[in-house]
Amino acid sequence: MIGRWWRPELGLAAVVLVLGVLVVIGTLDVSAAASQLGVGPRFFPMLVGGAMVLIGLFYVADVLRGGRGDPEESEDVDAEAPTDWRGVLLVSGVFLAFAALLDVLGWIIGASLLFFGVSVALGAEHRLRAAVVAVVLGVTTYLLFVNGLGVTLPGGVLAR
Amino acid sequence: MTSLQLLLDGFAAALTPVNLMYALIGVTLGTLVGVLPGIGPAMTVALLLPITFTVPPASAFIMFAGIYYGGMYGGSTTSILLNTPGESASMITALEGNKMARRGRAAQALATAAIGSFVAGTIATALLVVAAPAVVEVAIAFGPEDYFALAVLAFTAVSSVLSRSVVRGLASLGLGLAIGLIGIDQQTGQARLTLGIPQLLDGIDVVIVAVGLFALGEALYVASRLRHAAPEVAPVGRAWMGRADWRRSWRPWLRGTALGFPFGALPGGGAEIPTFLSYAAERRLARGVAREEYGKGAIEGVAGPEAANNASAAGTLVPLLTLGLPTSATAAILLAAFQQYGLQPGPQLFDHNPALVWAMIASLFIGNTMLLVLNLPMAPLWARVLRVPRPYLYAGIVLFAALGVYALNGSVVDLFVLYVLGLLGFAMRRFGLPVAPAVIGMILGPMAEIQLRRALAIGAGDVSVLVRSPIAAVLLVLSALALLAPLVRKLLARRGRAAAPAREE
Repeated sequence: MIGRWWRPELGLAAVVLVLGVLVVIGTLDVSAAASQLGVGPRFFPMLVGGAMVLIGLFYVADVLRGGRGDPEESEDVDAEAPTDWRGVLLVSGVFLAFAALLDVLGWIIGASLLFFGVSVALGAEHRLRAAVVAVVLGVTTYLLFVNGLGVTLPGGVLAR
Repeated sequence: MTSLQLLLDGFAAALTPVNLMYALIGVTLGTLVGVLPGIGPAMTVALLLPITFTVPPASAFIMFAGIYYGGMYGGSTTSILLNTPGESASMITALEGNKMARRGRAAQALATAAIGSFVAGTIATALLVVAAPAVVEVAIAFGPEDYFALAVLAFTAVSSVLSRSVVRGLASLGLGLAIGLIGIDQQTGQARLTLGIPQLLDGIDVVIVAVGLFALGEALYVASRLRHAAPEVAPVGRAWMGRADWRRSWRPWLRGTALGFPFGALPGGGAEIPTFLSYAAERRLARGVAREEYGKGAIEGVAGPEAANNASAAGTLVPLLTLGLPTSATAAILLAAFQQYGLQPGPQLFDHNPALVWAMIASLFIGNTMLLVLNLPMAPLWARVLRVPRPYLYAGIVLFAALGVYALNGSVVDLFVLYVLGLLGFAMRRFGLPVAPAVIGMILGPMAEIQLRRALAIGAGDVSVLVRSPIAAVLLVLSALALLAPLVRKLLARRGRAAAPAREE
């Protein structure tokens, strides 16, 4: 049922609108323990939620009437290029898999696979070189942050 | 004690070998990360924030000062050497700077940018030393209604000035405010909008929001539209400039500083407007050779905007340190850094932690000097950094984003939150929503709520308490005007488009 009026930006405008509604609904659960003076924990979220609904409506109307924002310019972005959804999906998949498996694999393996996966998804030509860089980065960040800066990173299977 | 005395104490604290080392690490990392294409000053600070967590506060802020100024320096190098439009504040520098580079004058463009940044940074930091105590004196009398009005002004100004479309700026602000609501209400201990997820009770850490919206959002955006042509990096040797270049640069430096500092200090002022104004002013004042060269690579068009850019960075610190009011995304992240250490910028900070504040201000002077020494001879190295193959660059950004966020709490849930925010950042970039209002809304929102509730409690529920003080009333009127400003801006832009060549649109 995607008609001629559909534009991708409507999705983002709808997110703003729906989030506004959700903020209002979510706030209704909060038991208002307002003191005699002033306002309780519900007042400000209601204000924000209400404002977002209003802004969301204006935003939807603006998009429907043909308004559009300028895609952000950035050094490595070709603003004219058609969206490469494959790249976005691949990077997303690699990242989500990394997040899900980090505690099992540990930082060194997980981060190496993350780097390798994202660089290949973005079109790294020499896979072997990407793999070497990935392992070097995984090991050095682990050593630097765990031994040097005292940050805790998961050891995973290598620690067992 | 006078502020000069306090500043000297600050220098004494900042000039210890250990702190000098932290300052050096800060400026080096700041420049290195800032040089990387696709990474602006805000993302630089957000990505490097986790590194400072294990360092004592005074040293951490000295390092931060270096990262902050270093990120600004790095950004201008990128825009001069790389033939593609970059983040907005250094875009103006690129107009003339890149043309100079392509005519074989990259060394002079980099030199006037570096020296101009040094001159502007030093003068503007000195102005900060003078202005900060004066603002503190005024701010000490501020009541909660005044702080609330200030926050409202920051919200409306940043939403309307940074975006061509007010509704998109406000949408971004709303998203940030909503994220800021998540977690336990500080006054009553009630959980709000946590969706029953226990990890959300403490709210979403600002580092996750900033890294998600900036770093991961950028990586996803790049993945969707990667420029496949190899980047064109202008060749460059050691940065230097001759006597004629000095003669042509010093006035633009000073004019740029004069424009940059006040705009940086205003809510919503930021770096974009003063750099553009400086560019336009130098164009109008250009005579002789400069007039012929303008549009083809005139040194004045680099010197002025670059000075304005750095002066505005120092100006931003005035409201941040004295009022706790962030006026740019970078400042919002700096504010978060203060909060990580349990410090709240504002008039009290100067009272309770003078040593820390003044050591930080002193290290701004020191970092600025280090950057000058570092950047003139190291230009060829930075040029090499720009040639990093893009797949590796963005894979590295994603890796460090994950590292920084995981290091916060050692929680995998944070990584999933990071991904959701990355998607949001991607959508915002794609549809032209500015990111800064979201970051500022998220950080300043909770503070605005506390002040609002405090003010209403004092007024016993009477809403008119919000405009009782003349300061608050004026600030709220200004906020309303800020929402109308885009109309004025449209007129200015129409005029500006006639003045600025190509690039626009």
